[in-house]
Amino acid sequence: MTDALTERPGDLDNEIEIVEDRLVNDMGLSDKPESLGRQAWERFRRHRLAILGMVLLIMLTLAFYIGPFFVAFEIEEINILDRSQGPSWKHPFGTDDLGRDLLARTLRGGQFSLRIALFTALLATTIGMIVGAVSGYFGSVIDGVLSFFVNVMLTIPVLLLLIIFGRQFGARPNTMAVLIGLTAWLRASRLVRAQVLQLKEMEFVQAARAAGAGAGRIISRHLLPNLVGILLVEITLLAGTAIILESTLSFLGLGVQPPDTTLGTLIAEGKGSLDVRPSRVLIPGGIVTIIILSINFVGDALRDAFDPKSGTE
Amino acid sequence: MLLIATFITFWAAAEVTNPLDALATCATCDQSAYDRLIDLYELDKSVPERYVSWLGDFVSGDMGQATSQGERPVSEIFWERGLNTLYLAGPAFILLTILGTFAGVYSALRQYSAGDYAITGISYLGLAMPTFFFGLLLQVVFAIWVPKYLGFKPFWSSGMHTESPLQLLRSLVLPVTTLMFVLLAGDSRFIRAAVLDIKSADYIRTARAKGVSERKVITKHLFRNAMIPAITLWSLNAAALFGGSLITETIFSWPGFGRLLIDATFAGDLDLTMAIVFAITTLVVLFNLLADLLYGLVDPRIRYD
Repeated sequence: MTDALTERPGDLDNEIEIVEDRLVNDMGLSDKPESLGRQAWERFRRHRLAILGMVLLIMLTLAFYIGPFFVAFEIEEINILDRSQGPSWKHPFGTDDLGRDLLARTLRGGQFSLRIALFTALLATTIGMIVGAVSGYFGSVIDGVLSFFVNVMLTIPVLLLLIIFGRQFGARPNTMAVLIGLTAWLRASRLVRAQVLQLKEMEFVQAARAAGAGAGRIISRHLLPNLVGILLVEITLLAGTAIILESTLSFLGLGVQPPDTTLGTLIAEGKGSLDVRPSRVLIPGGIVTIIILSINFVGDALRDAFDPKSGTE
Repeated sequence: MLLIATFITFWAAAEVTNPLDALATCATCDQSAYDRLIDLYELDKSVPERYVSWLGDFVSGDMGQATSQGERPVSEIFWERGLNTLYLAGPAFILLTILGTFAGVYSALRQYSAGDYAITGISYLGLAMPTFFFGLLLQVVFAIWVPKYLGFKPFWSSGMHTESPLQLLRSLVLPVTTLMFVLLAGDSRFIRAAVLDIKSADYIRTARAKGVSERKVITKHLFRNAMIPAITLWSLNAAALFGGSLITETIFSWPGFGRLLIDATFAGDLDLTMAIVFAITTLVVLFNLLADLLYGLVDPRIRYD
């Protein structure tokens, strides 16, 4: 009797296992969902890349800002005797056709490129945040007008606008950053608007309104703090976009003008001697690619961390 | 919508481009030259008035004169250069659609395989590399390194060679690859995500449970559904290719829209600038509209009122 009692659960377990096995093996239900381990591995892999991206970005930033102290040449120092040289011990990245040291210029270019990227991303996100929040919170006519404007602007190719205005405003790093920032905020505003539309119906917002909080207070104290994650991701990704746009404009000759320089300007200057010394293009171009790659890795991981549902895979 | 978009670009171009700048450096020009330009572009009127008058002319086929191209009528240059851009954008679009779909579907069906990792890695690189840098890279490899070390030049790296179909093909390879590359990276990621999404859907499991062959599950059930979002993607691609051609044409000295536009803005050639800007904006708006319409057509669940 006792034997039977203790045995029975075991039998049942066994039976379930057998049925499961049969279901899996014989009836074609082997399409098992992604295992937890696989998912964890996916997340881990992505975040490891993000850490690599962070490290690379920090290293490059340090190099751009501290590096110049260890370079013996100024960015505008002209040495006619050493002009158009390949990499050497004296000039690790070579010199340009005026004999200016390219290592010094590359570091300075990197400084400006990063600065433009960061400034643009902050500016664009701020504008997008304000427009999106106002549009989403107030709704009705204000929303109609703003949304229509955003939709119209989205149909105009960004590059066209930048080319039209680039000739006038692209020449200095700061105006260049403002110019790109003014064209890049549209997506951020749509994101924020969609979020605010959802959030404003929630209880805590109604509670705040019932307590007598004004629109400004509700937006800044209750709505925007909930959007920090989204905005952080947007800033990161916009910084990448900004670097691409800036270097593209500079490459077309509409960007930052010498003696100031960015990585895009360096590529534009180097493309004339592409057949003699490709390193003048390959070095700054490679740095741009590494920066954007790192930014994208970090951005993807951030999105994952703040919004696991979005599923970037 | 289209009207407002083109008005904004017209306004922008009109604010920034001053055709009179070109005369400032001209020593032999007298007041009559100024008057002629003012008359030509109606500079003494307000921007909205100029826009209406310009649009009226444009629609009736008079695109104005290209002052930077020896006073030739804009329409003549416009169609000639537009066709050249189409030589680039057309093949790029076809290849992009085929390769993007193939890479995306392959990498989703063989998730976590070596091929998937390779495709994912390359597309990350593609997303991070500015178009112009990729183009220059191709030039370095195929126009400098290959001739130097292998002793022959497989493709033209600059200009459009139309002597024979083979020459045209040789001059097309590098620019088309450049034009495609960045978009290809985004496309394959997008289609991979779409297929992965559907792969675990219930109806796929049902189909398998019914005993439908694996081949049929993939072609009939999986592929078809994954193509719904892809159709939007393709329409947007067509628009993006025209934008991308601006840069590609500059790198490879291709005589198309892109190069023309940049020359025109530098020269302060307002009519020419506007014709191209108008054309590109119109195409982008139309392709966006097409995307919406096709979306409703393919997926009856979506309705427009």
